[in-house]
Amino acid sequence: MATALTMTSEVSLGARREQIKTARPHEVGEDTTSLAVKVSGLIKRYADGTEANRNIDLEVRRGEVVSILGPNGAGKTTFLRQVTTELRPTAGSISIFDVDAIKEPGRAKHSMGVTPQEAGVFERLTVREHLEFFARFKRLPKKAAREAAHKVIADLNLEAETDRRVGALSGGQRRRILIGLALLGRPPLLVLDEPTTGLDPSSRRAVWRVIRRAVSDGASVILSTHYMEEAERLSDRIGIIAQGRLIAFGTLEELLGRVGRSYRLSYRDPFDPLSEPCVRYCVSFAEAQAHVLREMLSEYSIARASLEDVYFTLTGEVFEKDEKEEAA
Amino acid sequence: MTRMTDIACVFRIQLASMRRELGPFLLAALIFPSGMYLFANAVAGAEVRLEQNRLRFLAGSIIFSLSLTSLSWLGYLLLENRFTGRLKLFATLPIAPSSYLLGVLVFAIAQAMLGTVTLLLVGRALGVHMQPNFVLLALVIALTILCLCGLGAIVAASARSFSQGSLLTDTLGAGLVLLAPVYYAPEMLPRAARVFAQLLPTNFAARAVLTTLAGGHEIGSDLLALLLTAVITLGFGFKLMKWRED
Repeated sequence: MATALTMTSEVSLGARREQIKTARPHEVGEDTTSLAVKVSGLIKRYADGTEANRNIDLEVRRGEVVSILGPNGAGKTTFLRQVTTELRPTAGSISIFDVDAIKEPGRAKHSMGVTPQEAGVFERLTVREHLEFFARFKRLPKKAAREAAHKVIADLNLEAETDRRVGALSGGQRRRILIGLALLGRPPLLVLDEPTTGLDPSSRRAVWRVIRRAVSDGASVILSTHYMEEAERLSDRIGIIAQGRLIAFGTLEELLGRVGRSYRLSYRDPFDPLSEPCVRYCVSFAEAQAHVLREMLSEYSIARASLEDVYFTLTGEVFEKDEKEEAA
Repeated sequence: MTRMTDIACVFRIQLASMRRELGPFLLAALIFPSGMYLFANAVAGAEVRLEQNRLRFLAGSIIFSLSLTSLSWLGYLLLENRFTGRLKLFATLPIAPSSYLLGVLVFAIAQAMLGTVTLLLVGRALGVHMQPNFVLLALVIALTILCLCGLGAIVAASARSFSQGSLLTDTLGAGLVLLAPVYYAPEMLPRAARVFAQLLPTNFAARAVLTTLAGGHEIGSDLLALLLTAVITLGFGFKLMKWRED
């Protein structure tokens, strides 16, 4: 008999975030606000009529990590590109540490470190040159730029590649360089668009460590990801975008609460051990246990419903609703 | 001060990249234009004995070198930055688009000066007699580069795809030299083509370089034409190059 009882409970950085009441001083803005990012009524409509973002309201508190989840084409990158000032919104407002990012993109960019989703690197530069040049763009004096580059190289486990040309590196290593560029100069806000896509598990964890360190230094982070584990481990709050709308936003607990049936019972048919595993969602742990006893299950697991369960439930709700609307 | 640092950094990024591509640079800036000089000499036959023709061929090769390194190569570089996503790295930084373009322009001018000086040395080694006024020559070269870079920036900013853009910069790089009376006198063109060809910036540049190499100073109108063209093309280039998409 192989019985497994699994309770998963991811502790995010929330507790530590509570300690960050005051961020380090920064040259831009008075920083009197407790908000790093405030987005209100954001709409992005392209010339062909496609509405990529529909009336999004979202706030990122100082020292907080917010992850944005959503299917491909949901509007996550469009949203982040407006925050980074690369894309002009059709309507709405964005403020970064109280600076209007639409009216004063230059000032807003001073407080941001950005990793775009599809950015290229200068292949003929070495890793060191790349980071040092870009540190200079972030107003670091020569010596500080060298030191910052050195630190980022160490943090991202790129020491062995320091003097190698970027063109000779793997896709994952290049991705780490792009993350390193965002970290240079310790900006108070990091905007990372799918930062760990294409990274192996060990590199991914290295990036998580770096993000956590930045946050413990007072940085706020907004990132998009397709990895539920990443969002669960790193985030204080999670937003889910589907079809351009922010359909859910809150802590993991709050999102789990929205699903209602927050326990997942996975089991095999006791009379057919070769059958496919079955999944049943229950309102409580007791209900799941009762089901186990009633069905005389011998091989099963009970776990808290995960973010993935929430994600599929919520995005599924939206699609279902839209289909109903269309049918109507 | 920060603006100067930004421009210097863009310049140094281009320089560091170019150091590792010295071969193609020498080909575009020196070997190919030198080959064109020899080719023009060979085609000219007996007329090559005229000093004026040899000077014209050298001036033509200098313009050809400038066109290949600034319009074709730098246009390609700007296209590459745009279509491979490198421009996003700059766009997300607190630097102005003009700092980026100025850094590229300063690099283009430095590259052009190097190419021109080398070609002058080649000309001297091949026995071309010249009395260049270096200050005027530097001015002509700088204005020519600005015109050609402006064209490269317009193409790079408005191209719909990398392949379309690079085809255009290549075609313009060679075409502006071959269509304008650079290697030959304007009178040799059909009358209808003459008006069009004489309006091309390479025509003003070639005439000014030829006059300067011969020791003359009467290049005011050519300088003015080059300046106007540079202002127009760079103005458009700056306008089209957006950090922020709509």
